Amino acid sequence: MWPLPDVLLHAMHFHMWLDALFKFQITGTYIVRLILEGLLIGVIYALMALGLTLIFSVLNIVSFAHGEFYMIGGYVVYAILHHYKGFPGLLAIVVAALVTFVIGAVFERLFLQPMAKGQVERPSEYAILITFGLSFFLQFVMLGIMGPFPKKAPRFWSFPKIDLGFIRTTKTTLFLGNIPLSGGRIFAAIIALLALAAVLWFMYRTWTGWALQAVSQDRNAAAVVGINPLNMNTLAFGMGAMLAGLAGAVLVTVFSWVPWVGVPASAKSFVIIVLGGMGSIPGSLVGGLILGVVESLGTGLFPDPARAQAYRDVFGLVIFALVLWLKPTGLFGRKL
Amino acid sequence: MKRWVLLLAVLIVASLVLAACPQPTPEKVIETVVVTKEVEKVVTKEVEKVVTKEIEKVITKEVVKTVEVTPAKGKCAPESFDQLGEKGVIKIGVPVPLSAPGSVTGGQAMQIAANIAVNHINEKGGIMGKYPVDVVFYDTSGLPERGRAGAEYLITQECVNAIAGEYHSAAGVQEKEVAHQYGVLAVFAETWNDKITAAQYPEVFRIAPASSMVAQADAKFFSDLGVKWVAIVAENTDYGVPASEATKERLGKLGIESEIYLAEQGTQDFSALVSRIVQDVQQREGKKGVLVLITGETSYNFEEQAVEGGLAPAEDLIFVANQVAANHTEFWSNVPDGNYMAFRRVGVVPALTKDNPVAQRFIEDYKKATKDPDRFPESYAFEQYDALMLVAAAIEKAQSLKTEDLIAAMESWDSRENGFQGAQGIYYFLYGTKKPVPKDEPAWMWHQWPDPAILFLQYWQEGQPVDNACVIWPENYRTCGTDYIVPGTEPPVKP
Repeated sequence: MWPLPDVLLHAMHFHMWLDALFKFQITGTYIVRLILEGLLIGVIYALMALGLTLIFSVLNIVSFAHGEFYMIGGYVVYAILHHYKGFPGLLAIVVAALVTFVIGAVFERLFLQPMAKGQVERPSEYAILITFGLSFFLQFVMLGIMGPFPKKAPRFWSFPKIDLGFIRTTKTTLFLGNIPLSGGRIFAAIIALLALAAVLWFMYRTWTGWALQAVSQDRNAAAVVGINPLNMNTLAFGMGAMLAGLAGAVLVTVFSWVPWVGVPASAKSFVIIVLGGMGSIPGSLVGGLILGVVESLGTGLFPDPARAQAYRDVFGLVIFALVLWLKPTGLFGRKL
Repeated sequence: MKRWVLLLAVLIVASLVLAACPQPTPEKVIETVVVTKEVEKVVTKEVEKVVTKEIEKVITKEVVKTVEVTPAKGKCAPESFDQLGEKGVIKIGVPVPLSAPGSVTGGQAMQIAANIAVNHINEKGGIMGKYPVDVVFYDTSGLPERGRAGAEYLITQECVNAIAGEYHSAAGVQEKEVAHQYGVLAVFAETWNDKITAAQYPEVFRIAPASSMVAQADAKFFSDLGVKWVAIVAENTDYGVPASEATKERLGKLGIESEIYLAEQGTQDFSALVSRIVQDVQQREGKKGVLVLITGETSYNFEEQAVEGGLAPAEDLIFVANQVAANHTEFWSNVPDGNYMAFRRVGVVPALTKDNPVAQRFIEDYKKATKDPDRFPESYAFEQYDALMLVAAAIEKAQSLKTEDLIAAMESWDSRENGFQGAQGIYYFLYGTKKPVPKDEPAWMWHQWPDPAILFLQYWQEGQPVDNACVIWPENYRTCGTDYIVPGTEPPVKP
């Protein structure tokens, strides 16, 4: 079904040692499947990381509560779809984005603005502690509201039955040849791509986006030309929280949701922004995709099947360490 | 530039090493290998004899040595009823997972069951009609270090007279050490790792099955269905690793090939692992099986993603979901496409509780406490309830709070006829300090309840309550007249 990758593998004599190393035959179709799955999840990683990048580049702080906005985004969609049967899924996602934006913006105004105004003695430590505090607070608030039991929102839509030979569908899955792709992930990736496009348009095509970029480059110069850095801080933090919330909102139909679901997601975002270059928007996009594909290929191709999934995070961290070693500023980072 | 060259060099060397690894074995060596294997067999037999003798010596010494309970300093539990204080409250520690990465689902259910047990004990005035029971919960998160800290805290700070609970083996393995160190009775409710009782500590009892018992049942189930190859997907913990290895070993003895895939607890994305298993499955002939040995919400993530990734139950693919699938409300909301999945249920099913008033009472109260009239208590809820009732009954029987007396009381339930009636069944312990485990029995039979029911059930309708799921194995418990409901069909007999 995917002859070209298979031919390439044969030409490079990879089959010989791949089959001996693994207990099953590695085919081109299999590798294509792993790459596609990595790209699908990588787009979501990129969306999460873009939010963190935005916060870091404008406020110059790392938000340790980023994963909790992801968690809240998912819970908002779950709560809406659970309580209001027939509520449009897309609208629920928009509501989740708005809720997380508001929480982020209010938190920034109340707790981070004193730091920006110079009212805090040790701003770096303050930022770490206050965002850590927010992280725990949000986790336990949601634990109290939603309980500890795993939740999952009903899928936004099911595929109609299609059979066009190469493209087939079942209720949950789209088949490209022999490659099954989860409908929930495809939907999540499409929404994430749209959100990424919207953010890029906003950043590069609107006055406010230019203002955000100006503040990230030089706060004082931006202030001189009439941009209020404090308002930009609020906007950036709110947008960052919103992007994490969006990622959660689209994935709550794919993964089981618990109050601590954001912790690993947050860790991946940190890896991506360092991998892509701190504060770099293209860096977080490329970094997300790289991480998704590396994790997928690593799990699928690691010779020991018993350890392959258990080492999933390690594969990403190896690439992370290699990039830091070879290019300490990250793939797209500004030169120091 | 230098770094790039260095990196390139490393990659080239690594590729060469990898390419060199799978060289075919030269034919000439085959004879040598055969001879070597024969020599190995002889040597192994001799070594086994020597090792067995040494182990016997050690075990005999250990049994003699550990009969006496010598508590370490720091234990503060009252040793007589006079020391209980004005209210006469007897404290029992209940370690359970109430936060990630532990199974919160399991921990919460056990907490509810423990509270019901306390109500049942205290409504008659408490133990011996005058000493009410108070349980102290400790959240172990299913982690070894928290299990150890929890047991230490319960024994030295909360002054508990016994420990009854725990869901995760990772925590339980540590807790048993602390219980032994301080000489405190510990009844493990849902920890399966063989080591828990194989250590043969006089203070440690278990009413859950040992991993080896479950592994044997799993292997027999697949064997009876004619499965030729099984993918064992297990959590990378003190429960999952030994359980998967024990299952693999027993499958092997029945002529079934298998592969173990480990995953961390809390993993969300299983897509690449599912692809890998699908690739493996496609290249095997005959009936295949998937066995999920991951607990809690992580198992739901794997199971749903497996279906989406092309690993759904089929006529030639028997999919055994984790036992938490028995919590049908949660299972169907998290694994909506999990129809026709089988699952193992350790412990009783509704049909087996009808003649047991203790079980009926517990089930009724559990449904009220969970506010879910359709929720039949999970095996770990039954076990937690029974673990506390056992401890209370042991105190009552011993008329003492001393650990030695409690152990003697527990060991006095030594046969089914002479056992303690719990909600799950009649508890008894064949082997202990007075009757050591015989040589032909596994070491984990020490203070081990030998009769936990291990059944396999299968859903056959989306959203089906567990009460209506079919018992498909073992044959004598079958409720739907079939050993497997082929996806897309209905069972010949409906329960």
